[in-house]
Amino acid sequence: MRLAYSYRQGPRRHNPDGDVLGNRALTRFDFCVIGSGAGGGTAAFALTEAGKTVLVLESGHNPFPGLDRPGPLRNTLHGNDELKYGLRNYLQPQGLLEPRTFRTDPNATATVNDDVNVLPKAVGGAWQHADCKTPRLCVADFEIKSQVENRIGHTPGLAVPGFGSDSGSANFADWPIGYADLEPFYAEVERLYGVQGADDNPFQSSRSGPHPMPPGVPMYLGLLLADAAQRTSFQGGPLHPHAFPAAINSRFYDGRPPCVDCGFCGGFGCPSHAKGSPAVTTLRSALLSGRCQLRFNATAIALVNDGGHVSAVRYVDGAGDTVLATADAFLLAASPIESARLCFLSPTPSGGVLGNASGQVGRNLMFHHQTRVSGFAPQRIHGQRGRAVSHGISDFRGLEPGGEAVRVIQSGGPHVYLGGIIEFGASQGLVIQEDGRVMAFDLPKGLVPRFGAGFKNAMRDGALTQHLLALIMQGEDAPQLRNRVDLDPTVKDVNGLPVARVTYKPHPFEIASRRFYVPVMKQILTNAGAQRVFTAPCETVLGQAPTSRHVLGTLRMGSDARTSVVGADGRFHDVDNLYACDGSVFTTSSGWNPTLTIFAVALRIARTLAH
Amino acid sequence: MEELELTRRAFLTTVAASAAVAALPPGCQPRRTFFTAPELATLTAICDRIIPPDADPGAAALGAPIYIERLLTTFDVDPPTVFAGGPYSGRNPYPDPRTGEPSRVFPRNSFLIGIEPSPVQELFWRAEILGSVAAGLPPQLDAQRGGPRRGLRDLYREGIAAVDNAALAAGGQHFVELTPSEQDDLLLQLDGPSGLPPDPVRGQTFLDLVIAHTLEGCFAAPEYGGNRDGRGWQMVGIEGDSQPLGYSLFSLRDDAYHERPTHPMSTPNPDEVAADGSLAPRPLTPDGDLVQEQISRFAGFLEMLVPGGCA
Repeated sequence: MRLAYSYRQGPRRHNPDGDVLGNRALTRFDFCVIGSGAGGGTAAFALTEAGKTVLVLESGHNPFPGLDRPGPLRNTLHGNDELKYGLRNYLQPQGLLEPRTFRTDPNATATVNDDVNVLPKAVGGAWQHADCKTPRLCVADFEIKSQVENRIGHTPGLAVPGFGSDSGSANFADWPIGYADLEPFYAEVERLYGVQGADDNPFQSSRSGPHPMPPGVPMYLGLLLADAAQRTSFQGGPLHPHAFPAAINSRFYDGRPPCVDCGFCGGFGCPSHAKGSPAVTTLRSALLSGRCQLRFNATAIALVNDGGHVSAVRYVDGAGDTVLATADAFLLAASPIESARLCFLSPTPSGGVLGNASGQVGRNLMFHHQTRVSGFAPQRIHGQRGRAVSHGISDFRGLEPGGEAVRVIQSGGPHVYLGGIIEFGASQGLVIQEDGRVMAFDLPKGLVPRFGAGFKNAMRDGALTQHLLALIMQGEDAPQLRNRVDLDPTVKDVNGLPVARVTYKPHPFEIASRRFYVPVMKQILTNAGAQRVFTAPCETVLGQAPTSRHVLGTLRMGSDARTSVVGADGRFHDVDNLYACDGSVFTTSSGWNPTLTIFAVALRIARTLAH
Repeated sequence: MEELELTRRAFLTTVAASAAVAALPPGCQPRRTFFTAPELATLTAICDRIIPPDADPGAAALGAPIYIERLLTTFDVDPPTVFAGGPYSGRNPYPDPRTGEPSRVFPRNSFLIGIEPSPVQELFWRAEILGSVAAGLPPQLDAQRGGPRRGLRDLYREGIAAVDNAALAAGGQHFVELTPSEQDDLLLQLDGPSGLPPDPVRGQTFLDLVIAHTLEGCFAAPEYGGNRDGRGWQMVGIEGDSQPLGYSLFSLRDDAYHERPTHPMSTPNPDEVAADGSLAPRPLTPDGDLVQEQISRFAGFLEMLVPGGCA
């Protein structure tokens, strides 16, 4: 079957026969994994390791030619190239062809918005564009609901937005698994992906072993801010800066070289394979097993089902043809927005949405609430040298040391402020987009010259690119039923299919934390010698979509089939061979960079499934 | 001294790479196939008012107009050159893993070899450059964006004419015949509320486009046609692509990283450290100062309106 439209009406027609990695001879598959990123790559690894045959469908292209060849890793197509990534979107989908719509008000008409979480799409997934930060969740993160309710019950005067008498305004729940269940998987994925870290964060929960590698070279700006944090008082003591764990080699490890701190990290693919992204670790292991076939430029558009069982997936290949692929079971790992969208694009025989007996599919969409406080250092802080972030603090996550208990903070009465880990960052020092401006925000036209001699002087000064220091808090974002993904009623993608409509507005829960921690964040910057300290307004105040690339929820994991979509084993409550293993299963968002947890959860799900 | 020697070698390698251009695939050679000579002269003059020449080169000398023409003619070659290849440009050597020092081995320049775009990437870039109708974009995609997307080639041809016509209308002279200060005045006026209208679908004026593309042409990797000899990077004091050398070099002999003294990672830049070891920041120009001040002031204003900057 051909779609009405063929991609290649230009001079050349694309031949999809070349869009395959791994064992081309395989024709029968135990599992089909949709998405080759953090969740999909990890699942493909665990399933093939257990002897299963796996078909992986990846919507994006392949920056890793020869990834399936044995021997040393081949050269990648990634390079230190701002234009390719930042402006020409080598890794990100183009909104013109693959739009999404956005609204803050569930009763308003959503409008096309090219900033709605444009996670990169390519073999190996979105994480290849990240700087690969890998904190774990803590004990308390899995039981926020019961812990906060317990604190409210035992602390006179304590009220927390979204809890207690206000619990109807949010949709917090405990995870069906705990830190103890996940710890062995955390330890394993830290080895698989190659994590550097220093075991120096007092707020992290206990670990069964040290990080596989020590931290790499500290960045000047990281040391500057760490020193300032140690001189900043919070709740009667100094703050506790720590090395930021990251899946970036600081030694020769797993056949990949140590990172050289080239500076093109967050937002770029790694030219040297020093980043432990799925393509060069788990996915490659799966491809080398002989039991995996990966088809790229292959966009899943529907799951063929009888309501309780999936028999096949229909996808569009690189020539625009639709293809049917069968397997015994299916795993969704297309990222929360697209995994949920695929359920909506897969009607059941009775006209319902696949897997949606609970009515929860697409709901509880969470982005981390990112609070950015910035200032200008008088000296050049050369953010272009390093891994983007080498240090941070976890004091503002709002937990007691050890991460086992929610902290009650005394500040004119008892409070609970569950913020998140803070990254010590800066402009990356790259000029094309004046990324310092991107870190702050775009000024309205007319406030500063945008061309001419004065503009050139400001660029030579590196006014933004060399002087802007930034603290970014990855604050916990409350799950809400009204924050959701569904299908837009009118807007279509290049395949003629309805696009994801995102409805999102922050909850007073995260805004309260933001307001509480902002003054302390400002103090850290001031103590580091920064001037003109300011808070970047959150995007929704400016009428924009969240720029956070941490997208979670939509296929919530829970033990109650009435209030969640998948169980602790990742299987849809109401579909016997459909699983989710990406960020969509997160019950709550926590306050930590999420990808290591996606790895650990996917590994746990796939291991259970394979045995 | 060794650093100097390495810089010299890096330079020689770049020269060698440039000399190899003639033997490269057609997509990597300079192209003069779109603008007429008068159009190119006008565009060059506009670029040079965006980043004007002074002690450092302006946008024209950096090659921004060549960069723009290469973008607009990217589909004249096969494969198109939208994305430079990887992993390395050949400007920097490999580190020596034994010693943690730069080696004398340079990779070849892979940036010169364009990446075959994926089907969706090619469709997008055809629509972007040639226009959505010429690219054969599904009509619904245009309809939901407010109409057909006009290609950059058309927008450039018309935009250059609009700027020149404005110059003629104002004083009977072509844009290129105006003095630099008259050109500045005209561009400022065209950038104002009664100036060039935004494209109804893109929401951008011609000046929005040409400013963005001029900056790309000054500061993107030289393989895209601008940033001649990396002088755009030198001008703003950054190093450009740094792989495979980078800034921290691991030594197996010491089981430790070494930093490059001239480009330190964990300490301030050497030119901002006084003889006694104290910090000696170089002052900003009033123009750089204004940018910082306006951002901080505007954010402060928003924060006053909305406590914490969020509601």
